[in-house]
Amino acid sequence: MEEKFVFDSKKRWVLGSGMILGLLCMLITFFKDDELHTRFWTNYLHNTVFFVGIALMSLFILAAFTTAFAGWSTLIKRVWEAYALFLVPGLVLLLVLIIGVWGHWHHLYHWADAEAVKTDKVMFGKSGFLNKYWYTFGTIIVVGAWIYFAQRIRKYSVEEDANGPGEDFSYHRKIRTLSVIFLPIAGFSSAAMVWQWVMSLDAHWYSTLFAWYSGSSWFLAAIALTILLIIYLKAQGYMPKVTANHLHDLGKYLFGISVFWTYLWFSQYMLIWYANVGEETIYFRERLDNYKPLFFLNLLFNFVAPFFVLMRNDTKRKVGTMVFASIVVFVGHWLDFFLMVKPGARLTALEAMAHHAGEVHDAASHGSGLPFAMGFSFPGLLELGTMFGFLCLFLYMAFTQLAKASLVPKNDPYLEESLHHHVV
Amino acid sequence: MSVVVSPIREPLIEGGKTYHQITEDICSPTEKAPNFAWVLAFTLSSIFLGLFLFTVAWTIWFGIGTWNLNRTIGWGWDITNFVWWIGIGHAGTLISAILLLFRQRWRTGVNRAAEAMTIFAVMCAGQFPLIHMGRLWLAFFIFPYPNTRGPLWVNFNSPLLWDVFAISTYFTVSVLFWYTGLVPDLATLRDRSKGIRRKLYNIFSFGWTGAAKHWQRFESLSLVLAGLSTPLVLSVHTIVSFDFATSVIPGWHTTIFPPYFVAGAIFSGFAMVQTLMLITRKVLKLEEYITLQHIDSMNKVILVTGTIVGVAYLTELFIAWYSGYLYEQYAFYNRVLGPYWWSYVGMMACNVLSPQVFWSRKIRRSITWTFAMSIFVNIGMWFERFVIIATTLARDYLPSSWSYYVPTWVEIGIFLGTLGLFFTLFLIFTRVAPVVAVAEVKSILKAAGDQYTGPNAAKHHHHHTAVAAQTGAH
Amino acid sequence: MKQEKEVLYGLYDDEEILLGAVKAAKAEHLEIMDVFTPFPVHGLDEALELEESRLHIAGFIYGAIGTLTAFLFMTWVFTRDWPIIFGGKPYWSVPAFIPITFELTVLFSAIGMTVSFFTVCGMAPGRTNPTLDDRITDDKFCIAFDAAGAGEDMLNRLRSFFSQTGASEVHLKTI
Repeated sequence: MEEKFVFDSKKRWVLGSGMILGLLCMLITFFKDDELHTRFWTNYLHNTVFFVGIALMSLFILAAFTTAFAGWSTLIKRVWEAYALFLVPGLVLLLVLIIGVWGHWHHLYHWADAEAVKTDKVMFGKSGFLNKYWYTFGTIIVVGAWIYFAQRIRKYSVEEDANGPGEDFSYHRKIRTLSVIFLPIAGFSSAAMVWQWVMSLDAHWYSTLFAWYSGSSWFLAAIALTILLIIYLKAQGYMPKVTANHLHDLGKYLFGISVFWTYLWFSQYMLIWYANVGEETIYFRERLDNYKPLFFLNLLFNFVAPFFVLMRNDTKRKVGTMVFASIVVFVGHWLDFFLMVKPGARLTALEAMAHHAGEVHDAASHGSGLPFAMGFSFPGLLELGTMFGFLCLFLYMAFTQLAKASLVPKNDPYLEESLHHHVV
Repeated sequence: MSVVVSPIREPLIEGGKTYHQITEDICSPTEKAPNFAWVLAFTLSSIFLGLFLFTVAWTIWFGIGTWNLNRTIGWGWDITNFVWWIGIGHAGTLISAILLLFRQRWRTGVNRAAEAMTIFAVMCAGQFPLIHMGRLWLAFFIFPYPNTRGPLWVNFNSPLLWDVFAISTYFTVSVLFWYTGLVPDLATLRDRSKGIRRKLYNIFSFGWTGAAKHWQRFESLSLVLAGLSTPLVLSVHTIVSFDFATSVIPGWHTTIFPPYFVAGAIFSGFAMVQTLMLITRKVLKLEEYITLQHIDSMNKVILVTGTIVGVAYLTELFIAWYSGYLYEQYAFYNRVLGPYWWSYVGMMACNVLSPQVFWSRKIRRSITWTFAMSIFVNIGMWFERFVIIATTLARDYLPSSWSYYVPTWVEIGIFLGTLGLFFTLFLIFTRVAPVVAVAEVKSILKAAGDQYTGPNAAKHHHHHTAVAAQTGAH
Repeated sequence: MKQEKEVLYGLYDDEEILLGAVKAAKAEHLEIMDVFTPFPVHGLDEALELEESRLHIAGFIYGAIGTLTAFLFMTWVFTRDWPIIFGGKPYWSVPAFIPITFELTVLFSAIGMTVSFFTVCGMAPGRTNPTLDDRITDDKFCIAFDAAGAGEDMLNRLRSFFSQTGASEVHLKTI
């Protein structure tokens, strides 16, 4: 059952070139940018958070499936293990942001501007949480904890390969214990981190649902990327035992969680629209006024397309439709994060630059009618290039991990179930 | 067998059952005279049902003034009970639909009873908005029908009207799902009985024959109904949460309410399923079908949903502080430390802290612990709704209107009365239909029977061959 | 009423034996009238080469009718028939229409599918469809052949088929 993935030089070369292309795009962005390099930094934050989230959700999927006695997914669990280990480079990427906060390299967060906080009552009230200490140590401790779980689960999984299932499936039981402990920790900590990383970009705004909403967005991106990788590996001749039945179940997740994402999107939007409290509606007002195409593309990519494409059973079993749906959903959630990141950071930067220029200015007066700006109002080629670079980095790391162990976890107690998986 | 089952899985049907024994074990309680425990329970619940009828009649005769609602506290026990019952009603559909989609085999032991419980719980829930209308005979005004008043339509923008649609749809679809699943089992009862019983079951089993094509359509229908019920069950408690969250009242207007209400509903629903199933398996001697493995799994769901609810409580508290919005901050300060602090403590203790004992496998598999915890959780979830409703309304914007709400005997009587209604209906159900889905349990026998899987599988096989050899020798 | 039919049927004790028998019947080109089982047997649809049920397509159509009914009706009421402003929202408040639209979609689809299911299966409250054996809803798996007009040769061939494939009982019955 042993199956070795070879990360050959051609793959390395392709992914390496992709990374260089991404780097090039980032450099161009940096030098073409405004004085605060807002476009560069928002792109960096956007992609870092997006791919760290995919790694986190891969670990979450692994833990949740283990806890729920899922048997069908055993054949593909190595993909999630490999994805989850991207948390390690992910933490390095996050450290750059952290150092940036301390060294004032970027002006992403309004709350990081000590002078603004002094005069701003709302931000002053939040400064117990929105400060560089929480941002730094929160990130390091929380992501560090995730890495701990990712590495331990991986360790036992690989040892199980080498040493057999163990007395009364001891390896699997260890993995299960780790998974169970990880789940509530992930529940609390991912919320805290996404408030820090993303929600605080709109420093005045708040929504209790935000963490769950962005979490479901990450989850879908992770599932979509899983499907794409599996189809790629199968096309390369790997994973011969993964059949249309496994694809079908992944398709169900892509479909079902897309509906769930829509549900969360609607709940958040509708409640804020209905109650019409100014402090809250500003978030959607801003997006509807200045980012209208993205606002609707978000729904088109993440709800309409997967819903109608994946509703039928047979489309979840076909490679073509699954590739299409996965790419749409992956890009869709990348856009979703784009829309979470850019508007708030852009206003912060505009205000800061106006302040530098000596104008009396506040973010609210921009209100409607921000001019079209490539990279903010809509992602340009540089954004796509940057995303491609990050994607190549992510895959490079994942391939490195995939090559380190057999693609088939040959001693997993559920392996037989997965080999005989058949969707009714 | 074509089903491949991991050796790590625990069996879900014990006692080395054959198909016939399954039929016999599950159907026979409906064919015998009820035992003393049933009669006692039925008498008791009928008395409570009587109390329900009496207190409702009292309310309608003398008016809503018999309740302690006042100007600021327009919603008290009534809506608390309504939300509580609706929440309990969620487990049935969850077990039937979501666990079917997730292919969790353990659902077959408990789904039928849980679905029945859903229907009865929704019936109990539905009483409260109706009674609260005061003039019950005008209840049909809530439906949009062509009328002579203008025509004046109902307000389609109101979450209260969304509720009307959500709950009536939920009730209808739950009944359809439950009854369609019941038809083949009623046919089993029909084919086992004679005389008048056979005639009655013949009417209710719709002429089921068990033909292959019918089973195929049956499975297709179940799957689509499950697929429809899954978002439906989410939507129902979501819309209940909209009743609160669309307002601008601090403590009510928060975006996390929809998923948090749903998680809470699943949480309390599973607790009620535990309460019922622990009694049912004992009284009807179904311990080999509703095994410790089932109880363990359900306790895990309780632990997970209890923790999710805990995350939501803390999120609310944290974001209230984070919002920097004075009234929001006060609303939560008031919840935790205001005059109703005891209900907040009750909620936290029962919903978040106490379920944490289920981290221990030993406790998850202890009948006593599980039973006690299931009652605890239901108390805790009642407190949660009370906390949200009463404490918020008792301290609104205008301090001169602040008051303290205590229910009257009528309100308490109606609540206790719905418990009577619920248990009366459930007890009748256990007498007339199989409480465990017979056909579905048979369909998982070879994948989850203890003679086929788990630690005893080998022993049983041996035993069977020995018996076969003996009969062969004769 | 239905005409009377002569049926030769065999009872099996296990679904795996039944599945083998169905496959054998297909191989021998015996025309199975129907198969009756106490629970849905995995793999039987394929063995019998049953067409996939189209019930879910009907369900989609019913659901779409529900969607349109709800949405268009609310639109008509609040923009044409009796427009009222609620809470400063526009007459045509799409987000507020979503919940009821969703509920009616589900309601129409569920009721429509269930009614269709019972109708196409020839089932209704109080309906009595002929059954071959009371134990089919308990623990027997049944294959039935149409025996009307079958000659002695054919009957013998069927009987030997049953005994070869492991049927525990064989009966001839008029229903």
